[in-house]
Amino acid sequence: MKTLVFGLGNPILSDDGVGMRIAQKLRNRLHSVDVKEGAIAGLSILDEIQGYDRLIIIDSIKSEKGRPGQFYKLKLEELNTTTHLTSTHGMGLATTIELGKQMGYKLPGDIEIYAIEIENNTVFSEDCTARVKESIPGIVDKIIAESFRDFQKQEERK
Amino acid sequence: MGKKRITIDPITRLEGHGKIEIFLDDNGDVDNAYFQVPELRGFEKFCEGRPAEEMPRITPKICGVCPTAHHMASTKTLDDLYKVEPTSPARKIRELMYNSFMFEDHILHFFFLGAPEFVVGLDAPPAERNILGVIGKVGLEIGKKVIEARKRTRNLITMIGGRVIHPVCGLPGGVSKPLTEENREEAKAAADYVLEFAKFALKLFDDIVLKNNEYVDIIAGDIYKHSTYYMGLVDENNKVNFYDGDIRVVDPEGVEFVKFKAQDYMNHISEHVEPWSYITFPYLKNIGWKGFVDGKDSGVYRVAPLARLNVSDGMATPLAQEHYEKMYSVLGGKPLHNTLAFHWARLIEALYAAERVVELANDPELTDPNVRNLPTEVPTEGIGVVEAPRGTLFHHYKTDERGVITEANLIVATVNNAAAICMSVEKAARGLIKRGNVSEKLLNMVEMAFRAYDPCLACATHSLPGQMPLEVNIHNSGGEVIKTLRR
Repeated sequence: MKTLVFGLGNPILSDDGVGMRIAQKLRNRLHSVDVKEGAIAGLSILDEIQGYDRLIIIDSIKSEKGRPGQFYKLKLEELNTTTHLTSTHGMGLATTIELGKQMGYKLPGDIEIYAIEIENNTVFSEDCTARVKESIPGIVDKIIAESFRDFQKQEERK
Repeated sequence: MGKKRITIDPITRLEGHGKIEIFLDDNGDVDNAYFQVPELRGFEKFCEGRPAEEMPRITPKICGVCPTAHHMASTKTLDDLYKVEPTSPARKIRELMYNSFMFEDHILHFFFLGAPEFVVGLDAPPAERNILGVIGKVGLEIGKKVIEARKRTRNLITMIGGRVIHPVCGLPGGVSKPLTEENREEAKAAADYVLEFAKFALKLFDDIVLKNNEYVDIIAGDIYKHSTYYMGLVDENNKVNFYDGDIRVVDPEGVEFVKFKAQDYMNHISEHVEPWSYITFPYLKNIGWKGFVDGKDSGVYRVAPLARLNVSDGMATPLAQEHYEKMYSVLGGKPLHNTLAFHWARLIEALYAAERVVELANDPELTDPNVRNLPTEVPTEGIGVVEAPRGTLFHHYKTDERGVITEANLIVATVNNAAAICMSVEKAARGLIKRGNVSEKLLNMVEMAFRAYDPCLACATHSLPGQMPLEVNIHNSGGEVIKTLRR
């Protein structure tokens, strides 16, 4: 099964870049898995993910009662999908994937999403805020334990 | 993980993200309508202390949708900062990349936002007014063609820019590498496909929109008609140019008001500040800010496809010129003030971009290794401009003698249209809210204005779910929210 780990976010907008930072760390651990990072949105995502069977997306989320550094494992269906668009800039992840499938792109059937609660995504900075930054190593371990058990066993054997 | 059920209520946008606030007076009629966008803070500070040559790699990260426009504006700002012109092959390579990008962005916009209005129909339920509705009506082939056209242009951009998402090829005085002969062959093949696709898109527009009198009437009608000034880049013959030229402004009658170099922008553009908005509203300094109003005495101007066509004397390529003439003849002369004509103008520009791509891809100079003039001047200040898909984009940097940034200012394309967007929203609101009664059509009308301008709203953030809903809050004269419409 061809697997892609894809870290989304903006590396110069504080916590928005947390998905990319986690992806960078996963690259060092998951040697035989493709890992990509992208400060992209909209249809560009489709170009990156086509041709894979399994996709693991890591992105930031801001929710009403969330605690920065907390994370959730979500299914695509849990993100609000609407194929109705008001602007080309307002296209959500689930919508993009849905549109891509319907337009005939060969997209992964198995999609897992890790969403990391963040504190700040409105100030330009190359650094995550303290609580988010501290949570990164733990999240990396948990993603491996949850989604890459075989790799974890190999690591343990070493 | 997996066992406990967690309920998440994601904040679908930043505070004020594309939110529309409508205030009613004591009689329940519209007093004011505001369109808000969020504020991303600290960009200038972020840039300070960095080497200027990093800017073409930093600024594209502002927007995940239009990075190539920022890369190019930034590269041109470095040319100006170091007082060095790109070599002729370098300029052609830049233009090939830039026109490919403009084509791709315009086509995408048309099929995702423009075509759903017209191909599926203005009265169709919102759930059908999307690309899938277009595919349903015109056939699955169309989806495949859009995908193929995108793929080919994106390959071109990657070939030149190193990466499609955030190109890295632009350097002061040139580009990082020439094309190889194989590259050029690939570019030629892509160019032919792109041109055919642009012609096909205009034919589709012709068959579906122009042959339907009702649609032509809607486009030519009073919906969001705003008699404003227009701004855009023109070449030495006053023809549309996306990459370079002088900035020309015409008045609401189409008469040239001023033509200036990018470096003089501060003498011609000022920014008005409103207490309720994070963004500033640029206006023509020598006319002055008179509020959110139309007319020759108001400094409000518009940018982007229709504006560019309005300020120019024509298109520099033959097929685009034919369509340019046709548009003005069908819709009743120049300048056109009808906001929905942005959709048509966008397709004409896509055709122009495609013709330019063909012209450039066939130029043997693309493989000339002379792609860089080395800077020799001590840097102080640079200003650069391009026409981004959504309008005129300015970058302005000041540096110390080492070329380290001390100040950075950008006027992003959408912001130039901010006042006009507010005016279009207000016009829709005034027509559809009477004595406190809010017509359900309001959301549709507001959305149509949005789709025509396609504003770029804080796209720098990608947090899940990434979708930007449209939300309209209606306040009574006491300021209380009495109704919220959302899609």
